Amino acid sequence: MKRVFGARATVAALTIGAGVAAALAIFGVFGAHGAVPRTGPLSVRTGLKSPPVSFVRGDGLFTSKSGRSQLGAAVSGAIIGPLSPVAVRSSDGKLVAYNTWQKLRPVDDERSFSEQAIRDGDALGIPSLRVHDDAGNDVLVARGAYSAAWSQDGALAFAKGVYPEFRAGRTYNAQIVVRRGVHGHDVAWTTEPAHYVVYAWAGDRLLFYHVGLGEKLELFVADGPGKLRPLADGSAIAVSPDATRVAVLSEDATNVRVLEVASGSELSWLDVTTATPPLKWLAYSGSWVGDHIVAPASAGLAVLHVSSGSLELEQVLSLDQSEFPAGVQQPRFTDAAGNEIAATADIPPANGRAGVSFLLQCDRIARTCDRGAPAPANEWLRQVDESATSGEGGH
Amino acid sequence: MKIRALVAATVLAAALSIPANAFAYLTWFEFTRQSNSSSPLTMAWQYGPGFYGTQTWRAGSGVSTDACWVGHGWLPTGYYDLKGHWDNYNGTIRGRVFYLQDKTCWNGTWRTQLFIHSEETADQGQYCPTAGDDPYCWDGPSDYYSNGCIKVSRAGNPSDLRLVHDGWHGKSGDYRHGYFTINNWLYVRG
Repeated sequence: MKRVFGARATVAALTIGAGVAAALAIFGVFGAHGAVPRTGPLSVRTGLKSPPVSFVRGDGLFTSKSGRSQLGAAVSGAIIGPLSPVAVRSSDGKLVAYNTWQKLRPVDDERSFSEQAIRDGDALGIPSLRVHDDAGNDVLVARGAYSAAWSQDGALAFAKGVYPEFRAGRTYNAQIVVRRGVHGHDVAWTTEPAHYVVYAWAGDRLLFYHVGLGEKLELFVADGPGKLRPLADGSAIAVSPDATRVAVLSEDATNVRVLEVASGSELSWLDVTTATPPLKWLAYSGSWVGDHIVAPASAGLAVLHVSSGSLELEQVLSLDQSEFPAGVQQPRFTDAAGNEIAATADIPPANGRAGVSFLLQCDRIARTCDRGAPAPANEWLRQVDESATSGEGGH
Repeated sequence: MKIRALVAATVLAAALSIPANAFAYLTWFEFTRQSNSSSPLTMAWQYGPGFYGTQTWRAGSGVSTDACWVGHGWLPTGYYDLKGHWDNYNGTIRGRVFYLQDKTCWNGTWRTQLFIHSEETADQGQYCPTAGDDPYCWDGPSDYYSNGCIKVSRAGNPSDLRLVHDGWHGKSGDYRHGYFTINNWLYVRG
C-alpha cells in the first residue's frame, strides 16, 4: 500500500512538475513580454536614464561602462545624413570611428547662397574622420573624409574627398579607400571619383552608395580594389548576420528585396504597400538580427521576418505622428532575440522651437518605448553602430 | 477729334496686341510643402509695383516629411538660387530641368543635386516600355514622389511641366539655358 501510494505520489508529482515546467517554458517564451509581437501603436514614456547602447552627442562618447569620454571634435553627419552611421565601433570593440564637420563659414539654411554672398566654388566646410580608443586617445584618420565601416579583420573603409573642402555649387567627389589599421596606407577601391558614401562591409565585400543627380541612390558592391558592380537601384536596409545577404529598398521606398551579396541574385521580395497592414514606405539604415529586420517606416517602425525564399511583414509599430512628425531613424536591435530596438527620433523645428533629437529604447513585444532627454538636433545625438561587435548584421 | 480717337485706338490696339511674354517681369517660384505627393508649386511675377500674377500647379517632393533624410525626405525650407536650366538634360534626370542650389536642413545635413523636373526623356518625350514604373515616363500620381526634388506632372497636353517651363520663359523673358545663377529663384515654405 505504501508502495502503491508512493507510485501514485510519484506520478502525481511528475505530472505537476511537467505542468509547471511547461508553464514556465511557455512563460519564458511569451510570458516575459506578455505576448507574441503584434502590430499596434507604441506607447512612449519619458525617463530613459541610461540607454543600453553607446551613443555620441556633440564632442562626447557615452557608454554604459565608462560614462562620457571626450572626443577630439564634435560629431556630425552633415555630409551623410542617415545613409551611414555617424560613429561606428571596430569589431574588437576598442575603437570608435566618427564623422566630424568643420565649418569654414556660417551658412544660414533659410537664406539663399546669393543672399549670404556665397559664390560658386566657395569653401563651406571640411568633413573629417577621427578614431577614438578606449584609452582616450583620439586621432585624425583623414581630412576630407567621411562614412566609415570596420571589417571583421580591422580594415577601415571610408570615402576620401578628392579635395578636402566641400564647396558651394560643386559635387563632393571622393574615392572609396580601405586602410589596414588606423595608421595604414589607403588603397583606393573605386576607380573614378564620384559622390560616394560607404555603407557597410558584408564579409570581405564592401557595400557603398553612389549618390547621383536628384540624390538618386545606387548601391554598389566592391569585391576588392577596382572590382565594382552595381547591386541595386535604391538603398540598403541591413546586412544579414552571416554577411551573405543584404536587404535593399527600391528607389520609391516601397519594395524590399533580399539579395545574395556574392551574386546579386534575388532571394525574396516584398511590396510593403500591399502587405498587411499596408505601409506607404520603408526607409534605409535598419538592422538585422537572426531572421528579423527592423526598418524605419511611414507608420513608425516595421519588423520583417526573413525565411528561406520569403519575406514577410511581421509587425508594424506605429508612432503618434503629431509627437513624432519625422518618425525615427537608424533603428537597431539591441538584443540577440530581436525584441529590443533602439532608435533616434528627430523633431523638426516648429513654432520658434529649435529641432531636437532623442534616443528611444523600445520593447516590440510590450509595444512600449522609453524616451531619453532631448538634445539640440545640431549636436547629432546618435547611437554608435556596434554591428561589427555583435551578432547583428551591418547597418 | 476723330483722328485723335483713331490714333488712340490704334495705339491701344497695338499695345494690346503685343504678346504678354514680350515683357520681362521679375518672376520666381514658391513651393508650399503640404504633402509629399500634393503640394502647390506657384509661379509668381510682378507686373507692376504692388501688382502680382500667379499660376499654380500640383507638385511633389520626397517620400517622407523629414527634410534631413538624404534621398528620402522633402526639400528643406528657405530660399534657393537657381543654378541653371536645360531643355534637353541628359543625366539620370532628363528633359526640361531647373537645377537648384545645395541646401542644409535644420540639423545641418546637406541636401545636394536638387532639381525641379518631371519624368521625360532628354528630347522631352515619353519612354514607357513596361507596365511598371518607368523613370522617363509619367505613370501617374505616384510619380510625384521623389528622392527630394520637386516634381510636376508630365501628363496631358500641355503638361504641367510645359506650363512651368514656358511660363518661366514667357513671364521672366529669360531664355538662357545651361549654367547661370538667378538669386532667390525659389522659396520653399511649410
